[in-house]
Amino acid sequence: MATAQSDHIRQAIDLRNSRPRSSKAIDWIRTKPEGGITVLFATVLICVIAAALAFPGFRFLSEANIAVTLKAIAPLGIMALGVGVLMIAGEFDLSVGSLYSFCAIVTATLTAQWGGDVNAEGASAVAPFLAMIVGLAIGTAAGALHAVVTLRFNIPSFITTLGAMLMWRGATLLYHGANSLRYKPSEPFATVFGGSVGVVHASMIWFLLLAVAFYFLLHHHKIGNHFYAVGGNRNAAVAIGINPARTKIIAFAIAGCMAALAGIVAGVRVSSIQPGGGAGLELVAIAACVIGGHALMGGRGSILGIVLGTALMFTIQDVLLLVRAPGFYFEMFVGGLIVIAVIMNMAIRRKS
Amino acid sequence: MTTLEVIAPLERPITGLQPDVLPLLEMRDVTKRYGGFVALNKMNFFVGPNEVVGLLGDNGAGKSTLVKMMSGINPPTSGQIYANGKPVHFNCRADSEAAGIETIYQDIALVDSMSITRNIFLGREMTNTWGFMDHDAMTAKAIEILGSAVQISGIDDPNKEVGFLSGGQKQAVAIARAVHFKRNILLLDEPTSALSVRETEHLLAYVRDLKAQGTSSVLVTHNLYHAFQVCDRFVVMSHGTKVYEARKEDTSIEEVTYHVIRT
Ligand SMILES: Nc1ncnc2c1ncn2[C@@H]1O[C@H](COP(=O)(O)OP(=O)(O)OP(=O)(O)O)[C@@H](O)[C@H]1O
Ligand SMILES: [Mg+2]
Repeated sequence: MATAQSDHIRQAIDLRNSRPRSSKAIDWIRTKPEGGITVLFATVLICVIAAALAFPGFRFLSEANIAVTLKAIAPLGIMALGVGVLMIAGEFDLSVGSLYSFCAIVTATLTAQWGGDVNAEGASAVAPFLAMIVGLAIGTAAGALHAVVTLRFNIPSFITTLGAMLMWRGATLLYHGANSLRYKPSEPFATVFGGSVGVVHASMIWFLLLAVAFYFLLHHHKIGNHFYAVGGNRNAAVAIGINPARTKIIAFAIAGCMAALAGIVAGVRVSSIQPGGGAGLELVAIAACVIGGHALMGGRGSILGIVLGTALMFTIQDVLLLVRAPGFYFEMFVGGLIVIAVIMNMAIRRKS
Repeated sequence: MTTLEVIAPLERPITGLQPDVLPLLEMRDVTKRYGGFVALNKMNFFVGPNEVVGLLGDNGAGKSTLVKMMSGINPPTSGQIYANGKPVHFNCRADSEAAGIETIYQDIALVDSMSITRNIFLGREMTNTWGFMDHDAMTAKAIEILGSAVQISGIDDPNKEVGFLSGGQKQAVAIARAVHFKRNILLLDEPTSALSVRETEHLLAYVRDLKAQGTSSVLVTHNLYHAFQVCDRFVVMSHGTKVYEARKEDTSIEEVTYHVIRT
């Protein structure tokens, strides 16, 4: 009797595996949250490439354009990886935009103080790295702090981090003031984070490496499994023996660390840091995750979704820049896109 | 102004039966308060080796509260718990897991957005030394597990999201999980509420088999016929305390029914 049921399942699996690839692909699109965004991104990309081939004036495929786009994606993408993981664990951090600026300012200031500026006399090669470690540590600790306050007092993370957002923004001004800060670290730091391989900017390579690392963490490591469980059904996770506090602290810390890294990478790219540069980024990062199939309530999402959600937003921004549309079109487009992506995901899920 | 009212039984609390051999798990005078509300009031309860205990009582009597306390997710406000005669503190699920207790919760306790396999191995993932999961091994094991205890038709993909399953199928997954990991004691909180007649019979027969293999069970149910089919002892609760306790051979279904509906 026992084996009969198991054999039945094995047969059903074999049957499914022997089906043609196309129907497996359709299944994947229907059952995975990132299915909708994959279809949407592929469609947009095909249309844009077709348009670029048809109208030579539309320079989407030019080397210069590709290089610029690949330079721009990483900061938001890196931040979105952290924000996405935290969303899966069922929490938000609205302060990542402020942390992005604060940690970058601290890193840049320390780099200069420790003689890591490229123009400093006998520029130190290790100073930029040490300064970066401090910046990342601050981001990580800040994230963990948000978690502890949220969990200890049992308040929504939306509120804790709304407060933290203003606090870190104020701390940035207190620490540095409102002027932009020059950030030109010495070699090899400058090349490691600001160089490029062909058209591919170093920051993009870091983003992709991190995406792969996060993929293994989230989809293959047990802590990733616990993120989904705690975000999907907290009570069930507790009942089955997962420590939700520990899990959420790790998720918050990851989000804080990624925000700091995003700020530093962005600073290296433009050689300066604006104290208010991160304002609003937290919402754009959440938007990228939602477009990528993340559930606002937690428990659902994927790394592929985050990457494609970010890439889709930048593709649209790029297209609008190329056709010289005023900036507000971008916001209108992204606004519409969020709603369309969620509707699409729901529609696909309902059919399955 | 609200006054805090302690709901206590009118009669003197019954101590009930005393264990004649060292119980696997014993709760002495456990009390659970939710604010001013007393969900468990100086309750005494034990599970002996090789026995099936029926935990009965009206809605809101405190059965699930007691089950969750034995699962470690609902620590007592006061009172003491003993595992194999040694005092223990059940403050989280890991504590009860160490005592070999496995639970089928009344509210199922599955994560809808995760697959059947991931739900079965949640918190007990098969991993390598660095904590990376072995998906193939878990899937293979899940297929085996789904074939034991209850066979629910329609489950043919262990990687299907639990949210897409029917109520009975979900319950079957929760049962399969608990049954696979059980060691000393299996707690079943209304495990058959969504099962068909055939699968209910299977599960009850399975609980009897478990006893023969040395795993004791606590069965919470509103169906006294089911309870009489498998239980060796009955504990009737009302308003957070024990109001009646008897061995199967010393009582009748009528008497137990009387005590359940009396309060
Ligand atoms: N977290 C909580 N906070 C406040 N009161 C609670 C909580 N959990 C349970 N209660 C109360 O404790 C009492 C006992 O609940 P419990 O779930 O143990 O009942 P039960 O015997 O399992 O009932 P049923 O047969 O309906 O499942 C109920 O009155 C319930 O309202
Ligand atoms: Mg109950």
